[in-house]
Amino acid sequence: MRRLAGFNTVVALLPISALAQATVEGRVELPKSHLAPVMAKRYEIVTRGGVLSTQPPLAVVYLAGSFPKTSSPSTKQIAQKDLTFIPSLLPVQLGTKIEFPNLDDTYHSIFSYSPAKRFDLGRYRPEERPIPSEVFDKPGLVTLRCDIHEHMRGLILVLNTPYFVVTDANGRFRLGGLPAGQYALKAWIDSKTTLEKPVHLKSGEVSQVDFP
Amino acid sequence: MKLLPALTFCLLACTARGFEIDDVFDRLDNALTIAAFGGDLRARLSGTIDIEFYNFQQPAPGLIDSEIDNLFNPRLTLFLDAQLGSQIYFFAQTRVDRGFDPSDHGAQIRLDEYALRITPWQDGRFTLQAGKFATVIGNWVPRHLSWDNPFINAPLVYENVTAIQDKYAPYSPLYFIYAPYSYGKYAFNPVIWGPSYASGISISGRLGRFDYAAEIKNASLSSRPESWNFTENGLENPTFSARVGFRPNEAWNFGVSASDGAYFRREAEPTLPPGRDIDDYREFVLGQDASFAWRHLQVWAEFYEARFEVPRVGDADTFAYYFEAKYKFTPQLFGALRWNEQLFSNITDGAGGQVRWSQDLWRIDVAAGYRFTSHIQLKLQYSFQQETSGSRDDNHLVATQLTVRF
Repeated sequence: MRRLAGFNTVVALLPISALAQATVEGRVELPKSHLAPVMAKRYEIVTRGGVLSTQPPLAVVYLAGSFPKTSSPSTKQIAQKDLTFIPSLLPVQLGTKIEFPNLDDTYHSIFSYSPAKRFDLGRYRPEERPIPSEVFDKPGLVTLRCDIHEHMRGLILVLNTPYFVVTDANGRFRLGGLPAGQYALKAWIDSKTTLEKPVHLKSGEVSQVDFP
Repeated sequence: MKLLPALTFCLLACTARGFEIDDVFDRLDNALTIAAFGGDLRARLSGTIDIEFYNFQQPAPGLIDSEIDNLFNPRLTLFLDAQLGSQIYFFAQTRVDRGFDPSDHGAQIRLDEYALRITPWQDGRFTLQAGKFATVIGNWVPRHLSWDNPFINAPLVYENVTAIQDKYAPYSPLYFIYAPYSYGKYAFNPVIWGPSYASGISISGRLGRFDYAAEIKNASLSSRPESWNFTENGLENPTFSARVGFRPNEAWNFGVSASDGAYFRREAEPTLPPGRDIDDYREFVLGQDASFAWRHLQVWAEFYEARFEVPRVGDADTFAYYFEAKYKFTPQLFGALRWNEQLFSNITDGAGGQVRWSQDLWRIDVAAGYRFTSHIQLKLQYSFQQETSGSRDDNHLVATQLTVRF
């Protein structure tokens, strides 16, 4: 009985959501991989060897619905390294601040003309502090570009939900810590393709959902 | 006149649907990139469509070759960039337009640039390049294409035609000075003809905070676009050019350049003094450049001292410089301002007097640009040019350029 009483004490201290956690896992069929970009070096006096790496297509799986807002949105980073954005796809919750550290020994000039966030950070040095950043406060897709390196492209998916995950390169995902209930599970694949499936999540259960 | 409303409608549509338009261009970019040999060979086709309109006073300023005051100048530029493995890079540029410089001539197609580049080491210490490509001197070349140039035209020193002729040697000092008043502008040369896509070989690289570049080309900096082709003008009278740069940090960049080469074309040989040949008359150029960039501000300056050895005249010297600044007011709107000046030395006129060999002049350029999307840009420019010697002629230029990049 004493052991059971101790267990009840622990249960009482846990938040209700932790007890009601559901998990969904599955696979998203990803599009064919794009070719690695070819960098234009026509007027560069200093040319480095090497090639740009191929970035495999990834998808973002997220739970759509009405969820309470988190009090303090987190801070994430997208670095500019080896003339690419790392990561090349970053899903964030609405209100997230993203820092853009320049880890190359050359200038970059990041900008976005996307309706979800229009900004231009201009040119800044690798050691610049504070690290130039932007707060993403409108849901939607933001395409990052560099005014100096035409081939550089990165994506930020600003979501109005705290429940999201990026698939691995094979399209597999596991999204845990979800509240029980009826929701729509969405898979963002590219700017033109977002798939959706209804899910009924139950506490302590793992649901299997594949796209398509 | 139906063109203007149609263009306005298109630009408004671009503003409203910019994100979708960018998406289409990104998909086109993916479609125009191909690979072979397991991805070891990758090639990308890209380009720009430029639609330019100029209004100016006669004689047309700079290298514009037109007797019409209102000039419409469309241009299609295609680029091929190919990467083989990690060390070999090839690029080419071809254009369909009305001439290398804006003109009222008919359409023509040219292969303006092609080059093979080998980079043996990953750290950029050494690069070898051969082909037909832009000069290594100065700091204007990296921004000379329409998408990157804050202005529609080039700095004065790259386009102001002087009394120098590369097809005929003057038979007297007075002929040298007064010939520009009698012949068409295209008979004469500037100190540097645009980006100078001459043919040859270059080496370049970076050693610590210093970078270097040197080239041997088939034509001098002042030579006209026809002279840049290897088939037109071989390497028997080469031009040597070099630049050493110092970059204390990413914001600042300083450089010194020098160039030396024969500037006459082959057809000038019969007009040279007896016993002399093309190689005896050279163009020497010394250049200093500086640039600064931080956040939304970019500033450039170049200073050039040039000497032409002119048959039957002697040395004709000139000094030219410009200061240029660009500032992005918003992510899509930028403004630019440039002050240019060129001064000429005196030569003996053959009658015991001294006379300036071309007219001193200054020019101010003001431009504004707006990027509707990351692939569509509109620029407007006004330039005022005034001679500060001689007849003190002035010239107003209004120009607009719409660029679609793909």
